[in-house]
Amino acid sequence: MALKYNQKANLQRIALLAPGVLLYGIFNFAPLLGLFWVSLVEWPGIGPMKFVGLDNFATLFGNAFYRDQLIKAFANNLIFFFIIIGSMLILGTAIALLLSFRSWGRNAYRIIFFLPYPLAGAAVAFLLEMVVRTRGPLNAMLKNFNIIEQPIAFLGDPNLALATLASFYSWHRMSFAIILILSAIVGVRVHLIEAAMLDGAKRWATLKAVVFPVLAPAFVLITVIVMVDVFNNADYTLILMGPEGGPVRSTDIMGTFLFRSAFGGSATSTSVNFGMAAAIGLFTALLILPAALFLALRNLRRKD
Amino acid sequence: MDRLFKLSKLEQALVQLILLAYTCVVLFPIGIAVLNSLKPNLGEVYKAPFGLPSVWSFNNYATAWVGANFQGFFVNSAIISLACVVIVTFCASTIAFVLVRMPFRGSTLLFAAFLLGVVIPIRLTLAPLFVIVKSLGLLDSLLGVILVQSASMMPVAVFILTSFLRAVPAELEDAARMDGALPFQIYWRVVLPLIRPALATVALLTFVQAWNEYFLPLIFLRTPANYPITLGMSQFRLQFDVQWHLMFAGILIMLIPTIVAFLLASRQFIEGLTQGGVKE
Repeated sequence: MALKYNQKANLQRIALLAPGVLLYGIFNFAPLLGLFWVSLVEWPGIGPMKFVGLDNFATLFGNAFYRDQLIKAFANNLIFFFIIIGSMLILGTAIALLLSFRSWGRNAYRIIFFLPYPLAGAAVAFLLEMVVRTRGPLNAMLKNFNIIEQPIAFLGDPNLALATLASFYSWHRMSFAIILILSAIVGVRVHLIEAAMLDGAKRWATLKAVVFPVLAPAFVLITVIVMVDVFNNADYTLILMGPEGGPVRSTDIMGTFLFRSAFGGSATSTSVNFGMAAAIGLFTALLILPAALFLALRNLRRKD
Repeated sequence: MDRLFKLSKLEQALVQLILLAYTCVVLFPIGIAVLNSLKPNLGEVYKAPFGLPSVWSFNNYATAWVGANFQGFFVNSAIISLACVVIVTFCASTIAFVLVRMPFRGSTLLFAAFLLGVVIPIRLTLAPLFVIVKSLGLLDSLLGVILVQSASMMPVAVFILTSFLRAVPAELEDAARMDGALPFQIYWRVVLPLIRPALATVALLTFVQAWNEYFLPLIFLRTPANYPITLGMSQFRLQFDVQWHLMFAGILIMLIPTIVAFLLASRQFIEGLTQGGVKE
């Protein structure tokens, strides 16, 4: 018996959903839910898993060895975040503002400034690391201009390494801030500006009264996205400083701590435990949840 | 309006000065890399990092390409990226089509499940993800990396496509349905052509992100023969770290495809940023 149209349509709907739902379900959604389960076991990556209840969390927050690493990584991550977001908002606003004026060549500048954005994080890390080496071009230039006498070990000095990595991130992602702020400035309603100018307000006063207030949503969006990113993504640190976040763990952040707990910091590590990695992942997910929920709600609103 | 954004000569000069300064910040590392990748030896890089090469040594690129097996890494990256583009554009567009045009009981729940994937980064789920990939026997295989990377890009793709499709009127599809067309035909003949601009954005974002991914291959691949170029570059660095001119050449080999892609489609990149910027 031939199927009716509706039955056929229903079957085809299931067939259309199946590949995407399976792919996403197995390799993204199940791991999300799996965080809860794996955080309750002890497993070094091979052999049988051992159910240990909440022991991983107890160790993470109670055992001094782990707790100190957690606090250090979190504190470093906060510093890392504030350097990045500070530079991105201040420089990004300044540059976006200059590009919004009738400045010559502003379209060319826009493309040049955007150039680093699509580059691979790994490539940016390798490239900028070469540039800031003690015998590298940046130190050579600073010496030429007599700004310094001794070369600076940007990545070798525990006091400078974290800030240097943060500046790599800003170099790479600055155009993200520029573009979002620029589109907010361009989107300011013309009649508001005209009204302010007719009232005889000077340029700076107009900017302050009319343009800056509308930048708030763009600032919030940039802050939230960068926050979610820097609290889970540790590519620069992993590539350049290794999973131990050297020198002397001065660049250790949540992402490197998480990686180290699953795969070990070096070949000799013994304390690898995927359960601990899941516990750290879950804890980090909770930390960024407010920011994440904000993004989710924004997306829901946007779809209408 | 005009008075706010128009600049006097003096102001213009000042603005140009600042913009040029930032141009130098952006171009300095790339320019240095190009210049020094063409130098014949390490001594010249040390002595005069800003000087022109005494001999233009284009074969540094060949040395890097051969010495590091870049060809293999390149092919792996191409396979991974293209496979991700095909899988993500197909799977995300069918999902978006059903969610927007054929909603059912539970479709809101399904949408919410994708929403969760947009906001919680896949990196945090490293441990359970590793367990799943291992138990499926997909460790150290290109297929495993392709599936995981595709899955990680699905949520954003679904978002871009659903919001695009919602803005498109359904008249054509309704007409096709009146003529007795089934969902497969409607999807293939009517919806796919309609959403082509959004699909292009998704394809571009997916390709670049897949090409640039470092973390997921790092976790799932062990054999260097399977490495994509991001991991291959780390290998290369172990070997050539002290030979700066070759390092610069290697880094540029890695950058060139993305720079070319960007210059060809800079407008789409900049637009894609505001659409796809929901998650990095």
